[in-house]
Amino acid sequence: MAPVPRIAARGTGRTTPIKRGSGSGAPEMRRHEVVVVGAGLAGQRAALAAVEAGRDVAVVTKLHPLRSHSGAAQGGINAALGAEDSVDTHIYDTVKGSDYLGDQDAIEFFCREAGPTVVEMEHFGTIFSRAPDGSLARRAFGGAGFPRTIYAADRTGLALLQGLWERLGTAAYTLYEEWDLTELVVRDGRVHGIVAFDRKTGEFEEIAAKSVVLATGPFGRIYGRTTNAHSCTGDGVAVAYDSGALLKDMEFVQFHPTALLESGILITEGARGEGGLLKNASGERFMSRYAPHVLELASRDVVSRAIVTEVAAGRGFDGPYGGYVHLELMHLGKEKVESRLQEIVDFSRIFADIDPVTQPIPVYPGQHYMMGGIGTNIRGETNVRGLFAAGEAACVSIHGANRLGGNSLLETLVFGKQAGLAAAEYAATAAAPELHASDLDAAVAPLRAWSARADGEDPSALRTEMQQVMDRYVGIYRDEPTLLEGLRRLRAVKARFANVRVVDRSGVYNLNLSDALETGHMLTLAETIVVGAYARTESRGAHARTDYPKRDDARWMRHTLAQKSPEGPSLSYSAVNYTRWDPKERVY
Amino acid sequence: MAGETVSATFDVYRFDPARDAQPRYDHYTLDLPRHTPVLSALLKIRGEIDPSLTLRYSCRSAICGSCAMQVNSKSRLACETQIGPEIERHGRIVVEPMRNQPVLRDLVVDQAPFWRQYSKIAPHLILDPRRPMPEGKENPMTPEQVEGFGETPRCIACAACYSACPAVEADPTFPGPMALAKLFRFVVDPRDTAREARLLAIQPGGLWTCLRCHLCTEACPKDVRPSERIRDLKEMAIQLQGANEPGSRHAFGFKENIRERGLLQESKLVRQTSGIAGMVSQLGQGVRIYRKKPEILGRPHRIEGQDEVEKIYAALDDGSEAPK
Amino acid sequence: MRVAYYPGCVAQESGKELDMATRWVCRALGIELVEFPTFSCCGSGFVDEANEVLNVALNARNLAIAERAGLDLLTVCSTCQGMLSLANVRLGDPKVKARVDGALKPLGIEYRGTTKVKHLLRVLVEDVGLATIRAKVVRPLDGLHVGAFYGCHLLRPADEMGSESGEEPRSFEELLAAVGATPVDYRGRVMCCGFPIQFVKPEVASSIAGRQIDDARSHGADAMATPCPLCHISLDAYQNRAAAAVGHPLSMPVFHLPQVVGLALGASPEELGLARHLVPTGPALAKIRPPARA
Repeated sequence: MAPVPRIAARGTGRTTPIKRGSGSGAPEMRRHEVVVVGAGLAGQRAALAAVEAGRDVAVVTKLHPLRSHSGAAQGGINAALGAEDSVDTHIYDTVKGSDYLGDQDAIEFFCREAGPTVVEMEHFGTIFSRAPDGSLARRAFGGAGFPRTIYAADRTGLALLQGLWERLGTAAYTLYEEWDLTELVVRDGRVHGIVAFDRKTGEFEEIAAKSVVLATGPFGRIYGRTTNAHSCTGDGVAVAYDSGALLKDMEFVQFHPTALLESGILITEGARGEGGLLKNASGERFMSRYAPHVLELASRDVVSRAIVTEVAAGRGFDGPYGGYVHLELMHLGKEKVESRLQEIVDFSRIFADIDPVTQPIPVYPGQHYMMGGIGTNIRGETNVRGLFAAGEAACVSIHGANRLGGNSLLETLVFGKQAGLAAAEYAATAAAPELHASDLDAAVAPLRAWSARADGEDPSALRTEMQQVMDRYVGIYRDEPTLLEGLRRLRAVKARFANVRVVDRSGVYNLNLSDALETGHMLTLAETIVVGAYARTESRGAHARTDYPKRDDARWMRHTLAQKSPEGPSLSYSAVNYTRWDPKERVY
Repeated sequence: MAGETVSATFDVYRFDPARDAQPRYDHYTLDLPRHTPVLSALLKIRGEIDPSLTLRYSCRSAICGSCAMQVNSKSRLACETQIGPEIERHGRIVVEPMRNQPVLRDLVVDQAPFWRQYSKIAPHLILDPRRPMPEGKENPMTPEQVEGFGETPRCIACAACYSACPAVEADPTFPGPMALAKLFRFVVDPRDTAREARLLAIQPGGLWTCLRCHLCTEACPKDVRPSERIRDLKEMAIQLQGANEPGSRHAFGFKENIRERGLLQESKLVRQTSGIAGMVSQLGQGVRIYRKKPEILGRPHRIEGQDEVEKIYAALDDGSEAPK
Repeated sequence: MRVAYYPGCVAQESGKELDMATRWVCRALGIELVEFPTFSCCGSGFVDEANEVLNVALNARNLAIAERAGLDLLTVCSTCQGMLSLANVRLGDPKVKARVDGALKPLGIEYRGTTKVKHLLRVLVEDVGLATIRAKVVRPLDGLHVGAFYGCHLLRPADEMGSESGEEPRSFEELLAAVGATPVDYRGRVMCCGFPIQFVKPEVASSIAGRQIDDARSHGADAMATPCPLCHISLDAYQNRAAAAVGHPLSMPVFHLPQVVGLALGASPEELGLARHLVPTGPALAKIRPPARA
């Protein structure tokens, strides 16, 4: 009998952060070569790449990695794997989907990496759904010319997150779990480390690093109506911006057409991929008027605008939580719905008190994805030396003005790896970082002031007001007076944040403090979105100006760059990279 | 959709070890629609009444696993537990942190023991360099093989099962339902090459301390059914290792016991499980019970139709104790 | 009503008092118990762990015996109830059914899947009805606080057992109230007694049993009552070990379900075999207040 491989008595592969001595003398500073902030798919993939490149890596995350928002992604991950599909078609679909704002060189790289990336994840142990011949199963997603979305039932994000976490568990690195990022230390144009606090103890510490990879995910919680988790507050993006990083294309906010009414919980595109239908109050399949060729499978911005238009025109349903339309699965039959769309069935029954086997699901568009983020190139490099970014927190740009379903999960892995490799390469030769105690003091002082106030603003109330402003004034359809009013109101809330007060004085798991920190971050990011949206006088992809309804390539085929300045976000613009495709009118 | 409004009273466990001498329960009464998740109610309390109420939460859609806690003594995800049925059954909603994990603050527990048990089962594919994966292609896996995982891929590591488990409560060395369900996931994965080693590596009692009480399966929000996967592992362990520890010896012995007479012979079972030494150590207890219940030393009658039982055994079980 | 009586191994041997009480109660309530000397052990959960398909096949044979006679099956043990119900559920899987039929067919046995398996608790509450029972009570158990202890396999997995909630059942407490006793609410009532690991990890099993008994007592129970003779062994015969595990005497009388009902319907302690218990039941009986004179 062949020898049975021994299971090495190993721990998790992670090491516990070194306990600092409490004796006299300066405590030893925590020091790593590469610090990754955020432990969803992008952060974990970056960490894995950096560890495999031989660097000393730390991962800092405010949630246990398995709780990351990557796990909520349902529908699938795109890769042109089959013989009948081609990478070129995936590239073209992505370019077209981006409404020609995506950088084509980056998109070409991205789509070429897709197949090997998915195969790698399968080799790591991800459990995907399979076709009868044993190959990876695929389905069609909106905006795609071919069914190229590989999936795991309707929990693809969870499957990938588990597979990657299991693989990362065999690597040696340090995990700082439930630590909140407060500051990025940048001096002389390069990164020296971060400041963060440990939620469990309330203690602030600085961590010296040669390179920092920010992979903190989305910031959808600036909106009230969002599919995002509560934790999606864009901390890395805000902190980067505060340290001088350029944010790119912030005004491009993707709304997912089918978010459950009231809770905003995502009903995956897969429901439409499997044959679900959208109907208005007259029972009409209204998508035939907006996307005559592909109807429900048109890209997200097209479908979202269609629903908003239907409801605004009075053709939708109405109720205590606002207007909505119906997503119908009943005609697909109980067995297909319950086997292929199990999570949707559960969601509808549990969160909306609806049985999709027999009843239509009430849906309305909700904020879902941020095309904008920290500006990077294909290698995840930002304009700050030693600072890298990947995943939804970054903007390469792959998705341009609108993202295709199935490209986000892919993005986290492709660019997570690139950023990790680049961060490791930089760290291999960079000079040692110099962090001072004064860096820590400077980072901590404002937060301590929040707790020292006897009177002040409630962060939770400020957050709610910001969300109401964004929902009302910076939604799917925008125009100049509405955006201006939104900006005015947002700035008023932001001004009040200067007086925010934390009432919970405990050092242990102080969510009140975390809330305040996150709210501050979100206000920063919200402002860049409104300013960018106001400036862009055209409609493109997800950015729809009713006062500028046409796409204006001559003036606006360019990326928006936002940089922090004393007057607020200062905008500049950069060119879009072309390779093979000239911009055309985008029709589905 | 949300249903009519009800008046809901919450009794919420509060404890900050840095500042409180002992735990207390704070009471809040809110008017809410009947179909409101407990999580939404707790967040409302945080937002409007007491921002110091501490809990973990993130996705609010039962996928991240953050908000597991006890609701009226049941280990559940707060985001998918509705207040209506709880009020109907109990009149109020008692909210407490999960069990079997030390409390960090209020409803937040230290999950280190839970994660440690998970790590111990080597939760990653173990590969054999002599069986490399296909280059540039996925490993083939049929839909039947995917079905073979059962629902274990749905696990979100929320720890509700670990919280509900009486075996973990009584014996913290027991791996617990989640770790064992994950073990099952790797044992049946066709890409994994360490099936036998994994089962051998489970320490004595690691599988067999499971009481098969199914409280984990009741608690699990994702229908993973850990108790049923543990049962599968037990059968696999006997197949692979034979009956080599008290738990497997007891199950195997019981099975053989019935083969003989169709009914359980209690006296023989002790010897089958624990050997002569075991019988001797049980002697005092045996004598004590014998005085009231002399049947424990007797032999039960052989059932009528025992030959049918023997033939069923012959068809489905070869009776061998050796590893297969 | 007529039922196929499935006593299970323990009720026929060391748990004989359960059989005595069952017969007495069924006679009093007009339930005819049809006996079959062909019934084999349900497997007690252990055969299921060693060989699942074998266990299903053995129980399919038991179920077929009742089916041939056109009768529902009455169990008096939570574990038998669980195992026999489980066989019905597992036979819903065509692969399992094929293997089981393959073993039974050569023996001329065919089980068509129609046998209902009902524990005495269900029969009393649903078929006989609480109103009927209440009307037949001659000695209400007034003053006796009883902690019901269901036994895991009666309740769970709830979607497979198909009767009441797996964590928040009510039937036993309703029955206790119907016979005049005061049911005690405590967490342990749906927990495990530790029996399955009594020979695997005796200290852990004893600590679990002790915990549940303490829990019942601290909520005011004078006695416990269980529908499972295996739980009874763990809580009664092995109470000495449970006491050692928790470090103090427990002195908790533990009744079988039909004994509690029998007492209320007028049975004597002798008829119910109470003298066979390891923990004396006298102190519990002493709590019962004599009925007020009419």
